[in-house]
Amino acid sequence: MSGARASSRVQTPFRRALRSFLEQRTARVGLALLGVLLIAALGADVFASYSPIDVLIDKEPGAVRLAGPCISLFGCEGPQHIFGLDNNVRDVFSRVLHGARLSLQVGFLTVGFAIVLGSLIGAVSGFVGGWVDNLLMRIMDVLLAFPSLLLAIAIVTVIGPGLINTQLAIGVVAIPIYARVMRASVLSLRDREFVAASRALGASETSILFRKVLPNALTPIIVQGTLGIGGAILDVAALSFLGLGAQPPTAEWGSMIGADRNLLFSSPHVVIFPGIAITMTVLAFNLVGDGLRDALDPRLQR
Amino acid sequence: MTNYIVRRILASLPVIFGILVAVFVITRLLPGDPCRALLGEKATEAACAAFNARYGFDQPMIVQFVTYIRQVLTGDLGDSIRFGVPVTQLIVDRLPTTIELATISLTIATFFGIKLGVRSATKRNSRTDVSTMIFANLGVSIPVFVLGLLLAYFFAVILKDTPIALPPANRYSAGVIPTEIAVAWGLGGLQGPLRGLLDFISNMAIPNAILTLNPGNLVDAVRHLILPSVALATIPMAVIARITRSSLLDVLGSDYIRTARAKGLSEREVVAKHALRNALLPVATIVGLSLGGLLSGAVLTETIFGFAGIGRTISDAITARDYVVVQGVTVIVSIGYVVVNLIVDISYAYLDPRVRINS
Repeated sequence: MSGARASSRVQTPFRRALRSFLEQRTARVGLALLGVLLIAALGADVFASYSPIDVLIDKEPGAVRLAGPCISLFGCEGPQHIFGLDNNVRDVFSRVLHGARLSLQVGFLTVGFAIVLGSLIGAVSGFVGGWVDNLLMRIMDVLLAFPSLLLAIAIVTVIGPGLINTQLAIGVVAIPIYARVMRASVLSLRDREFVAASRALGASETSILFRKVLPNALTPIIVQGTLGIGGAILDVAALSFLGLGAQPPTAEWGSMIGADRNLLFSSPHVVIFPGIAITMTVLAFNLVGDGLRDALDPRLQR
Repeated sequence: MTNYIVRRILASLPVIFGILVAVFVITRLLPGDPCRALLGEKATEAACAAFNARYGFDQPMIVQFVTYIRQVLTGDLGDSIRFGVPVTQLIVDRLPTTIELATISLTIATFFGIKLGVRSATKRNSRTDVSTMIFANLGVSIPVFVLGLLLAYFFAVILKDTPIALPPANRYSAGVIPTEIAVAWGLGGLQGPLRGLLDFISNMAIPNAILTLNPGNLVDAVRHLILPSVALATIPMAVIARITRSSLLDVLGSDYIRTARAKGLSEREVVAKHALRNALLPVATIVGLSLGGLLSGAVLTETIFGFAGIGRTISDAITARDYVVVQGVTVIVSIGYVVVNLIVDISYAYLDPRVRINS
């Protein structure tokens, strides 16, 4: 602390957190993976020479079902498909790249949805207290009592398969986590001096909650959310694998694996490449989330 | 202690009631017509009216709810639309396979998870520590279905003609037929709950092989269980290793450990006798909580490895849009999950007096 004060540049909390984040090797690895992922997602159209849903059987001479990877650098002479072709004669590489775009979107949207609703419920619960708190938290307890994937499966079975419904289900299942985290932060802030000061100045309760308390309670939510994105991507991929999520011909990693999994023994590339893609993506968010937690959690700063 | 147990049981009753309400709400109030979902988009009005009358969907919501609660309480979860058999029968037939798979997986996960975590914490920042944590990070990031498929590919295809090749699917090899325990014991005529219990155990391949004294079946059953249980165990194992590591590191920094070291105890004794006992308390909670993930993972693992367990039942029911089964199984599995967590909480309080005093 004293060292920070003595240095010529002001150590804002943000800068301190950023430094402590970047000091961790695992966090840097996560950030790098995330960078690769972002580039793949944004540049999918540039890097992939094929459309993810284009069936190449009549369009390209020599294109056969489930052809293995063909890389000209390694002496392959046919048209280049670095991850091979799938059962419908589509380029696996461009499907994996476009899948990155979809997975990032799915991760952020699903967690965003859960964070907005969860934070709202948690904030109201913690700030208002009393029977409102009791009722809301009991509902959250019930949601938490289900094995998460099972509840999501049950919801999607009823509202019908599809990527949007799957995201909705996974999002709903995640709400209680954020509600609890937010409630805990709000409870710890509710009786602080700056809140009392706003009240004394005549601010309305709603304005105190949304302008004073919420902004100060966001840090743990951000950490939890980053860790949650990996989980959301995993869960959506699992539901797509079971045929409930993204529907063909959408290039989604889980459904790519689910659709061609019986061909694993003869053509492992159709499972391995999307599998690696999911694992790396989830790993990236987990590493960054862990890094953020360690950088932002005041209890860990010794 | 008794006081604590009673309080915890009473506290979980509203949660169980909440589960019943939630499943009811999900299946009845959300958009989506059950008739169209079950009979298909092209079902006629008349067919739907008959369908709604048969399942009571034409009744007022409150009547439906009361009927539903009464049915669940009397153990009636409805009939599977696809198979025509009661859902409870399906659960009794298929739950044993899942219990067996989940138990073995949880044992593997707990044993190796704690071992890895302890090794990591005691050799902090060593190469062992770093590689264990890389493994743990990969372990929580790889989807169960990808890991399961890769294991199957590796052990069944790449290692095909080696002695360590393992079967990639099904609970038994073709031609291996388990004997019912009751029959093997000469109790074929037995009826009632005892027979039910024996049949339930019969459906678990390993206990069956042991109790019917069939070493051939035992080897076959174990070989078929290795890949699925390793696939299912990996995520909880990684989580347990991480928690054990951080919890043990916390404890190792405390004063009483310094005292133990100052007494001249060997590092091994300090860790095993003094530190681990306290460090394992948070691990116990995580082991209980992993069960939910394990049940979710079982849906995927059983689908991949072709096990006729409860998870596979759900995924098949999804494909067949047999949502009576999805609903019934969700209710039973979720209640089971609450009960197991209750048991974990109680044993936690038993192990750690601070818990029951503070709450």
